[in-house]
Order: sequence, then C-alpha cells, then structure tokens
Amino acid sequence: MNWLAILDFARGPFFEVALLVFIGGLAYRLMRILLLGWHFDRIKPAGSKLGGALISYLRGILIWPFIPWVRNTFSKNPVIYIAGGLFHLGLFAVIFLDAAHILAWQSLLGFGWPSLVTPIVDWLAAIAIVAMILLFINRLVNPVLKLISGPAEWLNLLFVFIPMLSGYIMAHHLFFAYEVNFSIHMLAVDILLIWIPLSRISHFMFYFFARAIHGADFGKRAVIP
Amino acid sequence: MKAGTIYDELARGGISRREFMKICGLLAGALGLTSVPPVDVNAAYDALRKPDGLVNLVAEALQTKPRLPVIWLEFQDCAGCTEALTRSHDPTLVNLVLNTIDIEYHETLFAAAGAQAEAAKEAAIKKYAGQYVLVVEGSISPGSGQIYCTIGGRGSGDLLQEAAANAFAVVATGNCATFGGLPRANPDPTGAVGVMDLVTDKPVINVPGCPAIPEVFTGTLFHLLVFGAPPELDSLKRPMPFYANTIHDRCLRRPYYEAGLFADSFDDDGARKGYCLYKLGCKGPTTYNSCATIKWMEGLSFPIQAGHPCLGCSEPNFWDGGGFYQGQSAPLLRPAAALAAGAGAVGLVLGAGMATANQAQKKRAHPTEQHKE
Ligand code: SF4
Repeated sequence: MNWLAILDFARGPFFEVALLVFIGGLAYRLMRILLLGWHFDRIKPAGSKLGGALISYLRGILIWPFIPWVRNTFSKNPVIYIAGGLFHLGLFAVIFLDAAHILAWQSLLGFGWPSLVTPIVDWLAAIAIVAMILLFINRLVNPVLKLISGPAEWLNLLFVFIPMLSGYIMAHHLFFAYEVNFSIHMLAVDILLIWIPLSRISHFMFYFFARAIHGADFGKRAVIP
Repeated sequence: MKAGTIYDELARGGISRREFMKICGLLAGALGLTSVPPVDVNAAYDALRKPDGLVNLVAEALQTKPRLPVIWLEFQDCAGCTEALTRSHDPTLVNLVLNTIDIEYHETLFAAAGAQAEAAKEAAIKKYAGQYVLVVEGSISPGSGQIYCTIGGRGSGDLLQEAAANAFAVVATGNCATFGGLPRANPDPTGAVGVMDLVTDKPVINVPGCPAIPEVFTGTLFHLLVFGAPPELDSLKRPMPFYANTIHDRCLRRPYYEAGLFADSFDDDGARKGYCLYKLGCKGPTTYNSCATIKWMEGLSFPIQAGHPCLGCSEPNFWDGGGFYQGQSAPLLRPAAALAAGAGAVGLVLGAGMATANQAQKKRAHPTEQHKE
C-alpha cells in the first residue's frame, strides 16, 4: 500500500473538507444556541454585568485550576478532577504550543508563535493520554456516569484519544513507519474535526459563552457564586 | 575461464590478478548489501557465508560473464541522472561498475546521431535480446497521441514498449522515470507517467532520486550483473539495500530533532549550530533513500549536511507533496479565506433558519408564553 498517497489525501482534500465542516458546523451550532430565545429578566440591576462576566472568567481560568480545593467537585473526586484538568492542559499544550502544530497553525492563519520545548510538550502529551485512560475507566465504573453516558460520550473519548495516541506514537517513531503513523494521525484529526460540531466537544467554544452569560447574570444580581 | 569475460577484458587492459581481486573487493561494496539477497542461488549463499564470500562471488561473476549490455533511453528528462553518473571521477566505485557494463545506446553520450543512432539501437535490441538491461531516464507521455515527447518521429510510449519487450530487466532512474517527477507536477500538461505504469511484464526496478545517487544506480546494475536477478524491492519497486531507511533515520541532525532544537530560518543561530531542519520544510521523515549514508560527491556531503532540508526527491508526488520550505506538519490543502467564510455563513444561515422554524413551532404550541428575541 502506498501510504504516502493516503497521507497526501489526509493532509490534502480530506483535511480541507473536514475543516470546512468544522467551521460551518460550529457556526450552525452557535446560531442555534443564540436564537434559542432569552427569558425576560425583570430584576433591577444590583451590580455590573460586565464585572460579573469578568469575574466568572478569572475564576474559571485562573483560580479553579490552581486552587481546586475550594470546589465541591474536587473534594468529592480529586483524582478525576486532576485527571480532567491535566488532560485539558496537555491537550492545550499539544495543540497550541507544539512546534509541529504551530507550523500547521502558521500555514492556516498566516502567523505563528514561539513553541514550548519539545520534551515538555511530550510529557504533557503523555500525561494527557494517561489522564484520558483514567477518565475512561472512571466513566466505565462510576454508576451515575455510566447511566448518563450514551454512544456519543464514548465516541468523544475515542475520537480525541486516537489523534492523541497516534500523534505520540508518531513523534516517537514507534511501531510503524513514520508515514503510516502520520497517515493514521491525520485521518484521525480529520474525523475529529468533523465530529466536533456534532458533539459535546464543541464545549471548547460554548464554554466561553456560558461563562460570560452566567457571569453576567450573577453580576447583575451582585452575587459571587 | 570463458573468453570475452569482463576479467579477460580487464586483463587485456593490463590489470594483474592481485589488482583484479582488489577491484572485486571494492565492487562487492558497490552492491551495498546489508543482507543476503533473496536470490535462489545456493552457491551465492555458500559464497556469502565464507570470509570474503561476497568478493569471491563478484570475482566469479566477472570471470564468467561478459559485460552487461545496457540500452539507455531518455524521455521527458533533464539528463541529470546521466550527468550525476558521468561526473564521478576515477577511480570510484561508480566508475568501476561502469567498466563492467556496456552501454549500447545512450542519446546524451552517443557520438552517433540521427538515423545512425536509431539503427544502432535497433541492432542492439536484436543482438542482445533477452540479455540487456533497459535503463530509462525521464517520464513517458503515452497519451494525447504521444505528441509531447517524440524521438525520430516516434512517441515515447512506443519507444519504451519496443525496447522493454526484449529487455531482461528495466531500471528506471530518477524521479521522472519512476514516478513521473517534474513533468507530472500539477497541471501535468503531458500526462506524464513512470515506467512501472506502462511496463508490467518485465522486472522493473525503480531507482528514484533527483538525480538518482550514482552509487545506488550502479549498485543496482551491478546486482543484476552478479546475481542475474533484481535485488529485493520495496512496495514501490525500490532496491531494499538502498531504500530501506528514511533520511531521517540516518540523519546527522536527528539528535537535535529529538531534543526539539530547530533552525527557524536559513541564517539564524540554530542554522549555524546545525539544528534540525524540520521547520524549514525537511521531508526526511518520509523519504527513503541513501543520501544520509552514501552521501554525494564520493561521500563528501548531502543536502541536509550542507544546511538544506530534504526535498523528498525519491518519493512519489514529490513536486506536489507540499511546498519545499513548508513544514511537513502543515496541511497540503487549506480552504481559501473566502471559502472558509462561506462555510461559516452557510452554517449561520442554516442555524438561523432552523432556530426560526423551531421558535415558530414553539409559539404555536404555547401561544401565551412571552419571549424576548
Ligand atoms: S534535518 Fe530532516 S531528516 Fe534530519 S532530523 Fe531533521 S527532520 Fe529529520
């Protein structure tokens, strides 16, 4: 089999289509949510909406990840809280701070930025992969989680896991020839791009809207949640 | 000892027995053998097991076989492969091998021209039927009535088939003859193809590169001479002794790659320190060839050693497989900004349409409920 031809397809036309589906799909989802309609909120403003939104972001991004014990979810299940956090951290580092991925961003956006040194990205990726396995096991054994996990949840895990694992294998030149690993990685990435708008992985975008809206609501009522 | 063997000719040229054995030793190296080839010659296996086995095998071949007749055709090419071969100076391995072959027809090297040359080729095809190796340099344009590449008024496709019909094996040299090369690059006006797309009933050996490494090419020819059969080939018909590893596998900059130390431009500090050229577009990780080990100019250097990223010239689609200076992790195709914006707009419109339809349905179901739009 000529893997280079498969690789060219995965890096070429398939990637282009997947990216278009990703963009169009997220725009669709966003519009649907924005037009869900808003209930009248007749409360008299007691505080600033903008301030509330800002506080909400700061807490979500700066405080909870670093002093997690203030949160209930942490004290109830610290392992899972940490695994979830490390998984997101690793994912972020790999996607946005890895030298090879920055080259991809550069070709898409026209500009790049400095990368994190490879060994650090590498460790974060390994940690993220282990964290994903822990999260998978947790979903498998936790009775409540099991109850609310449909096929989409399992597919979410799978579709993120394969690009992560294949990327790690590729970066370390393990098992198969480089072009084979590269092909698998790119095919998996393309599939993930198409899957994201259809799934709850789109929370990477909606998270920021949700924080802003809830923050504004709290801000208006002058409550600090 | 048969008359007319290569050894006879060498001896006539004043080469002593001792010198002959030395030459055999050098030539054994030209085979580039990393393992015993899968040729079902028991004698070969025995010979290889003995100390100096390969040397003896070579000596035996040279003492029993006449020079290998070669017919060399050039189609849509730049003669770079020929150029690379003829630029190697005496006394190199390449040159030694060239002494063991007999080039019966070669457009660039031939003194004869026109009808004379064509007649010589026809005579050679007849005389050495079933014995000669056909070497092809350049891509073939078999479509469009074969108008794009003609020699003596005949199309490249016909010329190839005619010469291949009587050959004992066909060696395609350079990326053009193997995978279509530069002529096949988008928009491929001539419909260029490689030899293996057209010749299916003969052993075809691909020796890609731009140009092919002279030692790899002659090593392959010499293998045909000594063993009478092609070396083990990979899935793209490339000889395994020379194409089993990627450039990246044997690259002298590899430790920097592993450490994540990259040159960001051709004249930055990283470039001066010899860091990995991945970010500058190196295709070494997916390119199978011997540049990093055999190197060029008699082992002097090769592009990556000299500071230039690998272009991937021994792989199919090498002109269209991503920009030469674009990192390999970048996508090959990306939607134009307008297309991406279009996709976003389609999504927004569809979303808005769907949301409006839903709201209308909701209002019909609960006419009294108030909504702020
Ligand atoms: S220069 Fe190219 S072949 Fe060498 S290590 Fe870097 S990427 Fe690999």
